[in-house]
Amino acid sequence: MSPRIRVALLALSGLILLPCAASVIAGLPAFGSKIALYGERINAITPEARHVANMVSAINFDLRGLDTLGEEFMLLAAITGTVVLLRGHRGEGITGRAMRRPGRAVIPRSEATVLACRIAGPLTCLFGLYVVLHATVTPGGGFQGGVILASGTLLIYLGEGYSGWRDAIHSHWLDALEGGGALLFALCGLVPMLTGAAFMQNILPLGTLRDLFSGGLMLVENLGVAMAVTGGFTQLFLEFMEETREAEEPDEPGEESA
Amino acid sequence: MSVILPLLFLLTAISGSAVVLVRDPIRQVFAIAINGLVLTILFDALQAPDVALSELAVGSAAVPLLFLVALMAVRTQPPGAEP
Repeated sequence: MSPRIRVALLALSGLILLPCAASVIAGLPAFGSKIALYGERINAITPEARHVANMVSAINFDLRGLDTLGEEFMLLAAITGTVVLLRGHRGEGITGRAMRRPGRAVIPRSEATVLACRIAGPLTCLFGLYVVLHATVTPGGGFQGGVILASGTLLIYLGEGYSGWRDAIHSHWLDALEGGGALLFALCGLVPMLTGAAFMQNILPLGTLRDLFSGGLMLVENLGVAMAVTGGFTQLFLEFMEETREAEEPDEPGEESA
Repeated sequence: MSVILPLLFLLTAISGSAVVLVRDPIRQVFAIAINGLVLTILFDALQAPDVALSELAVGSAAVPLLFLVALMAVRTQPPGAEP
């Protein structure tokens, strides 16, 4: 395709699409004007029907739970694709060193960094668990909490160095976490059907509004998402980190780089 | 509230432009992280705490980190050598 045809194609598509976009933008409600009708309806019925204070979780895990199931498997497919693409011979052994560029100085970690990471790491993981567990009460949920938990594991890398990180993080556990999380979510859809209910119907006791254990089946689905996201993101970090390591063991022994 | 929102929009525009205009990839990663942080505050001001939390975790922690590691991996290759 020659540049001239490309420009002509761009002009033509712009000519067709721009008026459509302009008319849609002109038809939008004004900024900050009011809560949309769907939102008002959700706010009105959800505390009554599902005993859940966080509407976003109620939509994600119950009212539109099927969409979240699709996203769950999208995440699984994306992580699987990354692992297939990046993992060669690397990533199997757990005792490797990070690669060092010849001639680049190895700066040792300062003790302040180690201390800060050892203090902040457990606190970050605790906060992640809090966000996961309080999905139906306060903002947050399995996805947000899962990413925070995965970030918490990275503080191990920052504080303890590459080999300490590889000692703590095992690839097989991450596989199990991620696949198990997706399986748990799928089972949450299928098990209600055994009892004669609809797919992903909330058959567990709903609990009381604003209680930690409210929402019934949502809590289980939320746990599945949290497991899958924690495992998936940590796996992603691991695979990217492995890219900095040489495929073969380097010949000369040396301390790991920070 | 009337002052905060325009200020945040301005900050979003500035930090977003900075991501494009900064040319050094490593500094660009930090520009992305700052942009994520500004967006987090903006989402929070617009009363969307769930989205803000996602943006904070993904936009200013996970994605910059992956970029940093990827840049590190690129730079461990000696110049001119085949991978």
